Amino acid sequence: MKVKVDGALCTGHGRCYSLAPEVFDVDDEGYSEPRDTMIDVPEEHEEATRHGARACPEGAISVVES
Amino acid sequence: MTETPARPTTGRDMHTDFDIEDVSLAENFEEVLDDLVARCPVAHSTVGKGYYVVNKHADVRRVGQDWRTFSSADGWLLNPPEVTIPILPEDLDPPYHDTWRRVLNPFFAPGNVSKVEDLARTYARQLLDGFADKGECEFVADFASQLPGLILFNSIVPIPDEDLPQLFNDIDTYSFGPLDDRIPAFGRVYEYLNDFLKARAEQEPKGDVIDVINAGVDKDGEPSPWEDKVHTLLDVIFGGLATTTHAMAGAIYHLATHPEIRRDLAAHPELVPNAVEETARLYPPVVAPARTVKADVEIAGVQLKAGDRLALNYAAASRDPDACANPGEFDIRRTDVVQSAFGVGVHRCLGAHLARLELRVTIEEFLARIPEFELEPGTTPSYESAQLRTMKNLHLRWTPSA
Repeated sequence: MKVKVDGALCTGHGRCYSLAPEVFDVDDEGYSEPRDTMIDVPEEHEEATRHGARACPEGAISVVES
Repeated sequence: MTETPARPTTGRDMHTDFDIEDVSLAENFEEVLDDLVARCPVAHSTVGKGYYVVNKHADVRRVGQDWRTFSSADGWLLNPPEVTIPILPEDLDPPYHDTWRRVLNPFFAPGNVSKVEDLARTYARQLLDGFADKGECEFVADFASQLPGLILFNSIVPIPDEDLPQLFNDIDTYSFGPLDDRIPAFGRVYEYLNDFLKARAEQEPKGDVIDVINAGVDKDGEPSPWEDKVHTLLDVIFGGLATTTHAMAGAIYHLATHPEIRRDLAAHPELVPNAVEETARLYPPVVAPARTVKADVEIAGVQLKAGDRLALNYAAASRDPDACANPGEFDIRRTDVVQSAFGVGVHRCLGAHLARLELRVTIEEFLARIPEFELEPGTTPSYESAQLRTMKNLHLRWTPSA
């Protein structure tokens, strides 16, 4: 699985890095990091990543299931 | 909107004659919101200059994210009084909005907010000390109206100790006091913050958010005017007080009236963050801030024109079954929460991470100290409700531990 945060849409709600901290990081302003970059998701974090993506109030996160 | 169903609880037809200030909305909040979501994606009001209300989750998201078409520059109130003081950066559009946010965000980002946790817990315990042994409290006055200010003014927005009693008193009067006393109280708060900023500008920098506000940002190539700095401090302060008060009261009200959730949380403290999200979703303090339409646009089949005013009904969007299954249920085991309580788009609540921390600490500390409690029999909370919503009182009782 891969996942990507759209940097134009992320406004720093922090749902993704709260629910899947192993996959999403946070920058000094509270935005998700990295943005606009495909992130490889380890298998054990796939479920948390889906939750984090679904919880994004901006719909900024796209998941590519492999 | 061809149907005009009878609403037994109100004489008003909320679809074509909506009034966000109507008492029937305050008293039948969930019922009216669910009805709007189900059958009226865009409501219309003739109150004041008239306005629309966008209710569906997908439409609220679209409008919130499109700041070019839906401007915040005319303020968050749907029908503002003739003379109104803006709060910034709330009542701004990019790019000036974003330049302010860029300097304010770091103070309210998770890293900085996490440093406040011990302090938040200390104050929460102090407030609980005041009433835990009595077996009863009025939770709004005794706890929820006090904790957000105690935390904010002793951490991220430091105000000198000696000034706090008067400032608390004025803010409390402005937020919750008799209507005639509110404007004078606001005047005193404004004057205090103006003088405080000025005094700080003459002192050595401390590296806090006050220095950053005093430094200002770039506004079209010029430095921010003085009043913008005062209006920014106003926003930072008022954004984080009565709003969080309401969410805290909502959380504890829900736990008082749902013993099974209360006991579930006590047994599974790792679910408290989920309870915080559900609280924000179902007890939202910010119901529906306003925007101005800048270009003719259609929303859910309703044609809006440039110059029209609309409200983004965050409270309704959080209860939209298209975004959240069984939306009326406070479910601490949800994995599909999409709530809009902290806004959508560039105006995402600056203090969202601090509010979440305060709510988590409130639930954890209250349950640790008073595991079993209920509403005082014969009482129900009353609300003040319009574009913002506040629980005015919450009477609780319990058997004090020996």
